[in-house]
Amino acid sequence: MPKIRKNAGGAQIITPDGYPQMMSKPATARALLALRSAETAAKAQVAMEAAIPPMRAAILRYVDEMEAAGRDLKKLFAIAHEIRGFAETAGMITTGRIAEILCRYMDDMERVDKPLDTTIVALHASAIARAARAEEDDVRMGEKVAAELAALVARRLAEAH
Amino acid sequence: MAAGLESLKALVVEDNTHMRSLLRALLNALGIKDICEAIHGQAAMEALRDRKIDLVLTDLAMSPMDGLELTRHMRNDQNSPNPFVPIIMITGHTERYRVEAARDAGVTEFLAKPITAHNLFARITEILERPRAFVRCDGYFGPDRRRHEVDNYGGPWRRAEDLQDVDAR
Repeated sequence: MPKIRKNAGGAQIITPDGYPQMMSKPATARALLALRSAETAAKAQVAMEAAIPPMRAAILRYVDEMEAAGRDLKKLFAIAHEIRGFAETAGMITTGRIAEILCRYMDDMERVDKPLDTTIVALHASAIARAARAEEDDVRMGEKVAAELAALVARRLAEAH
Repeated sequence: MAAGLESLKALVVEDNTHMRSLLRALLNALGIKDICEAIHGQAAMEALRDRKIDLVLTDLAMSPMDGLELTRHMRNDQNSPNPFVPIIMITGHTERYRVEAARDAGVTEFLAKPITAHNLFARITEILERPRAFVRCDGYFGPDRRRHEVDNYGGPWRRAEDLQDVDAR
């Protein structure tokens, strides 16, 4: 098959052999192995976990900004969009989902050129704030419980020896 | 093991610092170390002028130049250093019309937030394993927007509007 051909509609079709690829075929085969390897998955997992604490802190800062934004709908949308972008990656699932609903509502209303119901926006903003803080509290509580249990086990082990 | 990925040069275009860090870390996990970062499309265009890039990860909503405009520039500018470069658009804007806008701008793959390593790696795998033909026609240059060939289809018409054209003749 030619590398460059024209279809019946007159469009020029350039096959993958007809333009530069990211890497050579042998290198591609090695890259695919790496992409599917357990070693790569483990490294990625470490990277994801390391990203969570700063992301959670950022979400809480966004929540503060959202509350300070009051009725500035443009700012509220921008912040809600940021929150929906990475709240779930940060493990704040509920927060991310409420932000997603708010963004869709604001986006859809803008598309049909209808005014936003500020009560709906305020309810979502409030729910995002409560969910974010509760999810953060849950993590802190979990960490506290884990730390207390670890200390208890350490004491018992020390006594046993 | 020499993975073949170490030699790649990636460009991450994202206005959120946390997302940029995460994407960099995930690319690092793949062995990609040569990573250039830009906070919007305009900065990305400047970065592209200075260096050869093999893979672009871009957000959609950014200012002053968003990911769609950046993609159109990369695909269509006469001065574009590599109009065939694979572009993965990563965004929380997953509404159908936005996905279609990204496709029509010429993105190679679309990745919805929240990001997972698995999903990002799956997109890169797709690019490597099944590179797509490029199409140049009136108003579009980019990866073939049809993902599947219809085996038993012999005609040139592919869309409902095309058939309406036929009916009108």
